[in-house]
This record gives sequence, C-alpha cells and structure tokens, in this order.
Amino acid sequence: MEDERIVAGLHCGEVVADVTEYLEGRLSPQRAARIGEHLNGCDDCQRLAEEISAVVRALRALPEEPLPPEVEARLLASLGSTEAAPHG
Amino acid sequence: MVHADDARISDETLIGRVAAGDSSAFARLIRRHGAMVYRFARAAAPQETDCEEILREAFLAARRGAGRYRDEPSGRSWLLALARRAVERRSPRPGAGSASFGELARAAARRGPAAWDGSGGPAEAVAAALAALPAEDREILTLYDRELLTLDEVARVTGIADAALRTRLHRARLRLLAELKGALRGG
Repeated sequence: MEDERIVAGLHCGEVVADVTEYLEGRLSPQRAARIGEHLNGCDDCQRLAEEISAVVRALRALPEEPLPPEVEARLLASLGSTEAAPHG
Repeated sequence: MVHADDARISDETLIGRVAAGDSSAFARLIRRHGAMVYRFARAAAPQETDCEEILREAFLAARRGAGRYRDEPSGRSWLLALARRAVERRSPRPGAGSASFGELARAAARRGPAAWDGSGGPAEAVAAALAALPAEDREILTLYDRELLTLDEVARVTGIADAALRTRLHRARLRLLAELKGALRGG
C-alpha cells in the first residue's frame, strides 16, 4: 500500500480514503469512474477494495441473534406490558 | 385486543398507541425491536455491562417518551438512540482513535493472508474480530453493516453528523479488516 503511487491521476492515498464511499455508490459518477480506473490499474488498491467488500459481506452474513425468550419474558413482566399475540 | 395483521402496523402507529397507554402495543413494540436493541446493547456496551438492564431502560424511556415522538428517521433509530443513552450513562467511551486511512490500510495489508476474499473466515472469527474493536467501531458497524440502518438513522442514534459518520464507518471497516486478517493468520 504505497500512498505516493499515482495511477489514473489519483494517489493511492486518495483512493484508500474513498473506498467505502465508492463501494456504497455515494461518489459522483465522475469521481467513481476515476476511482474505478485507478483500481483497474493498481493491485494494492484493488485488493483493499475487495477485502473491504468481503468484510461487509461477512458482517451482513453473521447470524441475527434473537432475544432470548427468558429475557423477553422478564422485560415484559418488569415493564408491566399486557401480553399480546406473539407475532410482530 | 389482538391485531391479526400486526406486520402492517407501522412503528409510528405502535408508538402512538403506546403514548395513549396501550400496553398491548407496547408489548408488540418490544417483540418487534427487542432483539435489535439487545444486540446493539451487547455490541456497544462494555463486556461486563448488564445488557438486559440497558434493554429495560431503553423501553422504559420509550414508554415515557412516546408522546414526544416526532420528526424521527424511524422508530428503530429512536429506540436505539434511547439504548445508546443508557449505555453512555454507564460508560462514557474513549474514541476509537483517528489514524489516517493510509495507516489503517497499511495495517490491514501487513497482516496475512496476503489477500482476503472472505473465505476461511467463519462467523465466529468475524464476531470475535468485531468484539475486539473499540466500542465506537463496534457500534457503527453493528448499526450500519449488521442492522442495516440508513446513514440518517445511524446519525440519529450516534449523534454524529453525516460526513464524520462516513469517515468513522470507513475507519471501522479498515480496523475490522486488520483485526480479522490478523486473527486468521493467527497473530
């Protein structure tokens, strides 16, 4: 990861700073195109972008832990909530 | 009163009913969002924190404050903001640091394997790497990348403005990558 390297007119450091915004599609079309061009010509930045994508996928794939039934029951009881049909 | 089509009742409607004293609506709100609030408490609070107590305080505050609910991005961000306040009352947290993106990226690159493609990272390893991060990082990754809140919603929960929030999200992802690669390498 060399900050001073320039590919497609952009320093790696600039690209590293924008990777999340690029992956999230929040950059202007012009900026995104330049970043894409840099990534195509820079193995280090390309790898980082792929790794960040993998991290995000891994986070989103983590199982969604439910509320333990005994915790829910204690919460409902302590807050004096009326039991309702168990859906929702 | 049983609502046969509960899924179609919006959070806003439920919160309005809670404000009017409908305890059945309050139970529904708990059933709908209790797990999310609990997961957030576990992610954002220090390990020794009683997250069940955070959960209770958040919903107690929700019941008390339901009448003032307005101009919120969503019901879930409102609830999570209440939970965050409960966490903060216990543990004013230091920031996660402000290392440059370049430093963080180099830290990730130094740690093997040379390139990580998402394989070889079982859920346990990802969860452990997430747990090893500073609270600020865990919080933002949990809200945005696990609970899939919008940036507006995360901003409401954390009180961090948009540009700073996006910077913190990026830093948190870089730190998680470094942590995960280090763990997968075994060091």
